[in-house]
Amino acid sequence: MSLYSYILRRSLYMMIVVLGIATIVFFITRILPGDPVGAILGPQAPPDVVDKVRREYGFDKPIYVQYIDFLINLFKGELGKSVSTNRPVIEDIKERFPATFELATASLIVAIVIGIPMGIISALRKDGALDHLIRLISLFGVSMPVFWLGLILLLIFYFRLGILPGPGRLDPYIPSPPRITGLVTLDSLLTGNFDVFKNAIAHLILPATVLGYFSSAYIARVTRASVLEVLRQEHVKFARSKGLSSGAILTRHIIKPALIPIITVLGLVYGGLLEGAVLTETIFGWPGLGSYLTRAMIYMDYNAIVGGVVIIAIIYSVINLIVDVLYSYIDPRIKYG
Amino acid sequence: MKESGDNMGASSKPGSRLGLPWIISIILLILLVASWSYFLIYARQPQQQIQLATRPDTLVIAMDISDAVSMDPAVAYEFTSVMVVNQLYDKLVDFEPPDLTRVVPEVAESWSYSPDGTLWTFKIRQGIKFANGDPLTAKDVEYSLRRVLILSKTAAWLLQQFIAKPEDIVATDNYTLTIKLKEKVAPDLFLSVLAFTTSAIVNPREAEAHASGNDMGSGWLTDHSAGSGPYILEKWDRNSEIVLRANPNYWRGPPSIKTIIIKHVPEPATQMLLLQKGDVDIAFGLTIDQIQQLKNVKGIRILEYPVLQLAYIGMNVNNTYLSNEKVRTAIKYAIDYDGIIRDILKGGAMKVQTIIPYPLLGFNPATPYYRDVNKAKQLLAEAGYPNGFDIELAYPAGAHPQEEIAQKIQRDLAEVGIRVTLRPMAAAEMYQKYRQQSLQLVLAGWGSDYPDPDNNAKAFGDYRIKQLAWRNMWYDDKVADLVEKAYKELDRSTREALYKQITDYILEHGPYAVLYQVVQYVAMRTWVENFVPDPSFGTYLDLSRIYKEPVLKE
Repeated sequence: MSLYSYILRRSLYMMIVVLGIATIVFFITRILPGDPVGAILGPQAPPDVVDKVRREYGFDKPIYVQYIDFLINLFKGELGKSVSTNRPVIEDIKERFPATFELATASLIVAIVIGIPMGIISALRKDGALDHLIRLISLFGVSMPVFWLGLILLLIFYFRLGILPGPGRLDPYIPSPPRITGLVTLDSLLTGNFDVFKNAIAHLILPATVLGYFSSAYIARVTRASVLEVLRQEHVKFARSKGLSSGAILTRHIIKPALIPIITVLGLVYGGLLEGAVLTETIFGWPGLGSYLTRAMIYMDYNAIVGGVVIIAIIYSVINLIVDVLYSYIDPRIKYG
Repeated sequence: MKESGDNMGASSKPGSRLGLPWIISIILLILLVASWSYFLIYARQPQQQIQLATRPDTLVIAMDISDAVSMDPAVAYEFTSVMVVNQLYDKLVDFEPPDLTRVVPEVAESWSYSPDGTLWTFKIRQGIKFANGDPLTAKDVEYSLRRVLILSKTAAWLLQQFIAKPEDIVATDNYTLTIKLKEKVAPDLFLSVLAFTTSAIVNPREAEAHASGNDMGSGWLTDHSAGSGPYILEKWDRNSEIVLRANPNYWRGPPSIKTIIIKHVPEPATQMLLLQKGDVDIAFGLTIDQIQQLKNVKGIRILEYPVLQLAYIGMNVNNTYLSNEKVRTAIKYAIDYDGIIRDILKGGAMKVQTIIPYPLLGFNPATPYYRDVNKAKQLLAEAGYPNGFDIELAYPAGAHPQEEIAQKIQRDLAEVGIRVTLRPMAAAEMYQKYRQQSLQLVLAGWGSDYPDPDNNAKAFGDYRIKQLAWRNMWYDDKVADLVEKAYKELDRSTREALYKQITDYILEHGPYAVLYQVVQYVAMRTWVENFVPDPSFGTYLDLSRIYKEPVLKE
């Protein structure tokens, strides 16, 4: 049994998967109609300028030559240059990803704290009033448009009550801390700037609540189903007949076996959050990956699209790997080697 | 399955393994409690925060800054970057909105040109200092303009169209600069390009000190400034905020606003909340519905001004039907211009049908076309299509108000018998096809890069430069020659008369139905004084003149 070699092997597979996805997206972007240079320069730009910029980016070369260049770059860890920002895609992503990571992690925490207890209570009180109430709340969560909820929360907590700050990562007058990790919360703590930290947390509350609530609905439903599944099993009856306290039954005999599907869902939810959430980012002026990728797609910004998809593919693969490793930790019957 | 392994594992090692979900839950709970207690601590601070927002020496602007690419004058070409560069640098000449027909002196205090109009001499104002204290001389202007030609980036064509090579720009002494042009050019036209931010003056010593390779400091200047303008670029967090700080050495005296914060707020609804709350002073980019809601709100002022942007329908003359001028005129008479402005744009547009926008030299106020179904039908019958025909209309997908306008035009043309199929396309795809001359009808816009009528006249009239006339395959030598003549005309009033001729001719024969001129809105708090809107999308906006009434909010 060697978890280490398992992870190594999975990482190799991961590279193949990422390469495959990158190749597919590369060719899709090149084949679809649309001219990124023309779109960026606008209708005014004289044709010779358009041609010149196109040559600068190498878009005048045959597709297979562009693909070879792309592969060479990829192995060097480069993703090419974005047409719309005129910078290396990797630099753009380095700048955007921390904001998305911060928001996604905060949202996941909110989602777990709301979703898992809701799911467990709902399952234990199956078909009771509380169960119906919780299911209603989570139905509301999945069916409510995120941009609407975001605006309403801003309207109430920022505009009317004035107890939470408006959009953005920090107040306009608060200087951002020196960039170490790019995570404003962590950087402000590392530099001992406690006021900035407080402000950054306050700015995280609303967007994280919106995204977290949305995701918690999904988590609650899976948790409920998973716990119900476990409740039907013999070992729970046995534990009851043994006279164990209900608290002990819940923690040792119900939640633990129910965790595997929940962890799977958490992985998916986290992956989804890390892709960036374009609507939430737009409402809250959050400089994340979602708005970057959306803009890239509108302008058919080839390198930015492919680069973004490569990053998302890596994120999903890594999360999947973590989830699989967690399986073996939760359930010793699952072994890798 | 019944004797499940985890049960066994659980009883054999109670503490260690079963702790995991609990440990995670406890950590999460602590985090949540911690964040909510910050929230409670924070809850006592908003009053203070609001007062800060009305600081008299700081201006906060909410707008979408995602288009910005570079703050290097030789590269900047997008709305946001051009507007910011104009605060950081000076140019030889400038425009003072709302007048965009005549330039005013800035770094150049006077200028003259040779009788044939090809050799220009500029006298540079003495005593101007860059933000770092260096004196500004003609040598620096020479370096800056040459730099644009050498780097040859996106916006370099503005200068390249008149100046052949860098060596044609020469500082003959510390305060005199001469520029040799390729050919005779209308003085107003050349000066209007010198007023664009591409011609801004960069401090060569700072640029070269930060050069990497042969980029003449362009990489560093992307998010730093080295100018003599009223502000210095302090910080640009992409898609977050741009911060400008007052230049203490500014030659016209330091501006009243010491700090300008341009916050990235892409969502209009959020902009509106911030403005109403007083956390931002100016909001660019509110929708017409929001503007109407804010019109009578106390403490908020709305400014409304036409910008140099026309919306038009282009008709590709290569198409069998559209090649017939009677058909094109029928389309011009089938469109309900007033209905578009009244119902779709809610009055937020100016009725213009000629190709040079207000308030430029040569603006032609004629609006002969109006909706006349019978006349349109009759013209179609005369053209040999009494039963109409089928045609496609391309427009940018998902864009507003283009989508509503395209649908309206489909209905308008249906009434005269022309069956329009709507072809919404991604912008990238639409412009590519348009450039390839492969669209039939297209709903598009045209913004003027610099406020000279030549910019529009060439695009709409001269097919030889491969812009709009060429894309619609309208190869009309008569108007193309007139456009070239006006381009070279030294006398202002003769030139104005030529543009009258050009606009009248295109109005009658051109393959365009100009729908309207775009009107923009800016909403601001009433404590913001002396904001003069710029019809040229902020290219000539001067934020340094703004000052704030020191109002404290109750």
